[in-house]
Amino acid sequence: MPALTAAIANLKGGVGRSTTTVMLADGLAYYYGMNVLVIDLDPQANSSQMLLTEMGVQAASDQGKGTHHLLASFMAGKPPSAAPYIMPNAVTLEELRLAEEHDARLGWISSLPSHPHLRLRELSLEEEWYGRAGTPTTLADALAEHYRAAFLPLQSIYDVILIDCPPHLSPLARAGLALADVFVTPTIADSVSTWGTKQFSDWVSKFIAPDLPSRNFVLITRFRDTKYARQVASDLREIYLKDRWFGPTIPESVHVLNAMDRAALDSYDTIRGKYAGVTGDVRRLAERFSDFMTQQTGVSWRKVRD
Amino acid sequence: MAQGPGLTPVEYIDRFFDELRAEVRSNPALAARLVKALGGNVVFEDETKADVANPYGLAASSSKAQFYAVFGAMKLAQLKKVLKDHNLATKIDMNGKSAAQLVEMMHGRALTKVSERRSSAF
Repeated sequence: MPALTAAIANLKGGVGRSTTTVMLADGLAYYYGMNVLVIDLDPQANSSQMLLTEMGVQAASDQGKGTHHLLASFMAGKPPSAAPYIMPNAVTLEELRLAEEHDARLGWISSLPSHPHLRLRELSLEEEWYGRAGTPTTLADALAEHYRAAFLPLQSIYDVILIDCPPHLSPLARAGLALADVFVTPTIADSVSTWGTKQFSDWVSKFIAPDLPSRNFVLITRFRDTKYARQVASDLREIYLKDRWFGPTIPESVHVLNAMDRAALDSYDTIRGKYAGVTGDVRRLAERFSDFMTQQTGVSWRKVRD
Repeated sequence: MAQGPGLTPVEYIDRFFDELRAEVRSNPALAARLVKALGGNVVFEDETKADVANPYGLAASSSKAQFYAVFGAMKLAQLKKVLKDHNLATKIDMNGKSAAQLVEMMHGRALTKVSERRSSAF
């Protein structure tokens, strides 16, 4: 069965895309034993930092791993191949590490990390491409075609591929969106985020996925329980995006912010230690997304842990 | 609020500093912040080290010997508290480690974090 590819994206920055990406990866790997690949297309590299630490992101880059090296291979006209650029071990949960140690891999996370150099490489590519009378759209199309071919052999290895997309519509970001089977849209319960989500939804519907509503999973993140936030969340569900799948509302949590700052590359934590009071929300997110995956693919997933 | 009609301005100021002194005695973290704000050096005493000492600040500005002088004498429970409070280790990371191993871990990880995050413009 080929992997389901999900783009985690929103035009608005600061809505919790990277945290959502890591929570989904942890939740699906831990509760459902899925083999997850996280592709980071955001030059800020936040989800990569959360999985590998900042030093780990740099070390990966030094070893020739990362989306900026994959982009360089495209620029050099090399045949499409993504496998050499992947870090196969990006697990931070002790339970997954122990299962691997006992030869019982029940859920695993790999990372195709990003690096700040990604944007510099992309700018260089854009200058070269436009200098040859290319356009942003032809570049996005060429990148999407290259990446589709590069990721094709990985479809049978992974159960789900999560693409953390940057909060803009550069050719690379558009290529990432074009690869997606489904779109996860994190947003915050406030008016500016609602507006940004509407802009993103309209753009994707027009240029990438005319059937977006049936392929869109919306998640309200960093939720502060106030009357105002409850009203905005309710309007999102019942008026503005009422035809979408909604995940559980994820509360704002200082503990999670801390947990996303991995202490070291050899630092592990249990799911309860990592997520504490939000563990139940991560489980509900995995359950709801698993239902969404079943609706998209027709394949049911069974929990391997409670 | 102190509002005795018979108090002089000096007496009001005395009351204010009495309150401040009392708070500084019972709140080592506040005391450390005030001394730093005044440009002084904070001297760490054993009982209050775990509340006051910042491993990132010490790793960034002190030698390894100075770092060990502050943390090396701490008890296991104090070390675990510092590591946890500063997000330098999880319970899993600390399981079965001796105090010496925890200090070593604290120093290495704090140095790494500082090198990752400190701007090279300094």
